[in-house]
Amino acid sequence: MSNLEPNEPHVGVYICHCGGNISDVIDVKRVATELGLHPNVVISREFPFMCSDAGQKLVIEDIRSGKINRVVIAACSPMLHELTFRKTLQRAALNPFLYEHVNIREQASWVHKGDHEGATQKAIRLARAGVEKILLQDELEEIQAKATKHVLVIGGGPAGLKAALNMAARNLRVTLVEKSSRLGGHLHELDTLYPSGESASALLAKLLAQVNESPLITVVVGTTVTAWDGFVGNFTATLSSGATVNAGAVIMATGYDHVIPAGGEYNYGGDPRVTTLPKLIEHLKTSAGKPLVWNGVPVKSVAFIHCVGSRQTEGVHAPQADGKVNDYCSRVCCTAALHSINVLKARQPDLDIYDLYRDIRTYGRGHEAIYEQASKNGVLFFRFTEDAQPEIREHTVVVKDILTWGEEVEIPADLVVLVTGIKQGAVGELIDMMKLPVSSDRFLQEAHPKLRPVEVANNGFFLAGNCQAPMDLVESSAAAGAAASKIAALLSKDYIPLDPYVARIDSEKCTGCEACIPECSYTGALFMNEGTKKAEVNAALCKGCGACVAVCAPRALDLAGWSIAQMEAMVDAMVTEVPA
Amino acid sequence: MKYDTLVIGAGIAGLQAALDLAEQGRQVVLVEKNPSIGGRMISLSKVYPTLDCASCITTPRMASVAHHPNITTLTYTEVKQVIAQPDGTYHAHISKKPRFIEEDKCIGCKRCEEVCPVYIRDDFEHNLGAKKAISIPFTNAIPQFPVLTPDQCTWCGACANACPVDCIDYLQEPRDIFVEVGAVLVATGFELTPFNAKPQYGGGVLPNVITSLQGERLLAPHGPFGRVLRPSDGKVPDSIAFVQCAGSRDASLGVPYCSRVCCMYAIKQAMLLSGSLPTADITIYYMDIRAFGKGYEAFYQNAKAMGINFVKAKVGRIRAGEDGNVFLRIERQEESSQPEEMNHDLVILSLGMKPQWNPKTLAWDMETDLDGFVKSPDAPMDPATTTCAGVYACGTATGPKDIVDTIIEAGNAAMVVGNHLARGNA
Repeated sequence: MSNLEPNEPHVGVYICHCGGNISDVIDVKRVATELGLHPNVVISREFPFMCSDAGQKLVIEDIRSGKINRVVIAACSPMLHELTFRKTLQRAALNPFLYEHVNIREQASWVHKGDHEGATQKAIRLARAGVEKILLQDELEEIQAKATKHVLVIGGGPAGLKAALNMAARNLRVTLVEKSSRLGGHLHELDTLYPSGESASALLAKLLAQVNESPLITVVVGTTVTAWDGFVGNFTATLSSGATVNAGAVIMATGYDHVIPAGGEYNYGGDPRVTTLPKLIEHLKTSAGKPLVWNGVPVKSVAFIHCVGSRQTEGVHAPQADGKVNDYCSRVCCTAALHSINVLKARQPDLDIYDLYRDIRTYGRGHEAIYEQASKNGVLFFRFTEDAQPEIREHTVVVKDILTWGEEVEIPADLVVLVTGIKQGAVGELIDMMKLPVSSDRFLQEAHPKLRPVEVANNGFFLAGNCQAPMDLVESSAAAGAAASKIAALLSKDYIPLDPYVARIDSEKCTGCEACIPECSYTGALFMNEGTKKAEVNAALCKGCGACVAVCAPRALDLAGWSIAQMEAMVDAMVTEVPA
Repeated sequence: MKYDTLVIGAGIAGLQAALDLAEQGRQVVLVEKNPSIGGRMISLSKVYPTLDCASCITTPRMASVAHHPNITTLTYTEVKQVIAQPDGTYHAHISKKPRFIEEDKCIGCKRCEEVCPVYIRDDFEHNLGAKKAISIPFTNAIPQFPVLTPDQCTWCGACANACPVDCIDYLQEPRDIFVEVGAVLVATGFELTPFNAKPQYGGGVLPNVITSLQGERLLAPHGPFGRVLRPSDGKVPDSIAFVQCAGSRDASLGVPYCSRVCCMYAIKQAMLLSGSLPTADITIYYMDIRAFGKGYEAFYQNAKAMGINFVKAKVGRIRAGEDGNVFLRIERQEESSQPEEMNHDLVILSLGMKPQWNPKTLAWDMETDLDGFVKSPDAPMDPATTTCAGVYACGTATGPKDIVDTIIEAGNAAMVVGNHLARGNA
């Protein structure tokens, strides 16, 4: 029953209330009415939640009725729902790229809360620009990149091992690259694990046996990645051995480093009685069952100081190498310290233990019981604030304890254990090479902190374990499994679908001047065809940045879906006055 | 019907796991006992630490699941029995509860809801609002089918008369469904620790003492009042208190563990309150602030900088004050230990998490731990494994955790379930 002329776009416009997020500020009815005046807009509606099933059904029915063949939805950020609505168009058998997502939440209602008229006018201008853009849109097709069924795992700690085993279980070949001389990572340092109390060595031995048995996993130790090339589905890693690995996806399992207390912090490095929790754990591992002796001296009293290298405040703590303090919580140290305290107390019940903390964060399953046990073991707890750090004196530690109303307490201590935090490992060169995003805490940045914690904005990269944020072994294993799960889906088909917003070239117009070639940042994406002497684009490698388009004097280059004509039409729409 | 996997529970854990499995080409049957998918997450206001609106980020997942060709979603449906087969697969008996409408005819037009004369408590709003005895559960529910509540319906016939497609069926009975699956994933989630577990806190008795999930609804963009009001008299509260560990870290309540999310959700609600009520005083009474996740410490420090009061104190008793106000008797743990009485307009009890459902009701040999949550015998390396071969668990079914940790576990569970299925086929 189509009544459409093929050359005449008929646009449906939908204004979302976002349950009040938009409609509390913007007069959505007025936006819909104003947009309805455009000659090409045949339907203009407003609706409480366009992303809801009912909202999507509305669009599908309008398309199926034959009234519209292009869709503009003015709602939240395209980061959230552009894909949702492309799929909606697909379900209505319309090309999914004939859809334009206009952001009137982050770009209008949220940022102009106090100016309802201004926000409404802005929403009208943005939505009009969306309409003008979609009028000039072509029916684009997604690009299909080859899916190489081989995964590169970088880092051979527990997260990397677990990720490799998971992928081998799905018949995916894995190359596991570890820069140190052996697999296992920080698991080698640990004695018993909290909360189960099982042996870290036994667990590691089991994991290594499984990895060794798997014919699909190739392990290379003492090796780093020295060069990086390619794109999702077809990466090429050059290893320090000179070998290359062709992989469809990558798991970053590069782990963490312990924070080393800054020069002089709590007399670390100067006073031999001051050590760190990792060093104490190493000592516990090699002195099973024996009473605690430090530097040849039997220890009668130990003070633990929490949050060393974590939860730091500018002005109080010395900055790290990059000039910033570690203002994050390292998550695992509270429970790790209390677990070690209980191990010590079990060996040596008469040992006096003092625990100096800011907040005890025994959050995980079974962790609170470890804290309870430490209290039952007679450990004395003192609470300090970040602006009154404990002070190390000869044979004692002085703490201003706020649990006893700020009284200064002097504690005897033969040994002071600094409960040090976790920081990003030395992977700067690697992540520069791979162009991976980094969070303000220096850990690798996930695609969305709530919904996509193991994915990265860069296609084909996934995060497992502590390279993303501090976490314990249970959590690292889960993250490794989750990352593997995404890859199992990504590489389940023979190709990987990519967005079609890439450069395209009109070879009739190309003069072969080569001005565009040096502008391209992506190896192989734009090149000169030696035969025709004209520029060509490799769509799978092009990221659609537009740098080449800007320098093309004869206007031979353009971006599919973001053409110069579209941009001009959008700008014209935005600067057109809106009636008050 | 045969499927690769039965996923029990369509909260964010079940949704994410079902999507991951479906994307790997597995056929999933997703069973949800409530009338809509979305679980607890869809009822939240905003989520920490990004302050994304929960509806905005949950609905896309819900829609993707509902439309995925590899996922069959059964809502308002309960799993009655799961029986292990000698070949390692499972047969499940599922019962679909009557909505008292014919789903294949219903067009979701809401005419029945409009004409229904009976108002009942709205469970989605945690009883802060009312709904009709026949109604669609909430704005962005999936599917958009109304449910009739038989206990409170007067059977007046108004809805049947109003329905344009004649789909009201007052005689509808529960319907049995039998499925055969290769694996089962338990994603049954949590419920709040009991509101009245500590009678001295006045939960359920004092109208201006509310639960944290009620607090979420008060702050939700399309919540029961559309703005922040206190329940007893509709006053805009000027002084609001959060009582931390009101249901956790207390062996006397049978909940000795930390519920892991309450510090962060209280800080988040406090921030949202201070956004909508800029002149209100907001106080959080706490034992330890556990802001341990990525970006959480900065979130906590921001809340302090915004002027939210953090008071390390034990709350001994909560009693009715004048004009609907609430008095909190507290003992500070810093500065002075003199008991003090604090006066607030509205008090939110930061309740903890308990398991929603005990798997033993299905007569499985699936064990729970001392904390009542599903036992993970192979943690730390395999947190999704249970004591039952072929049965896996994730999310808050295996202990309190927040959304991001749940999503990670759900992804892992999908991987492990997929590995189990792959072994079976090999």
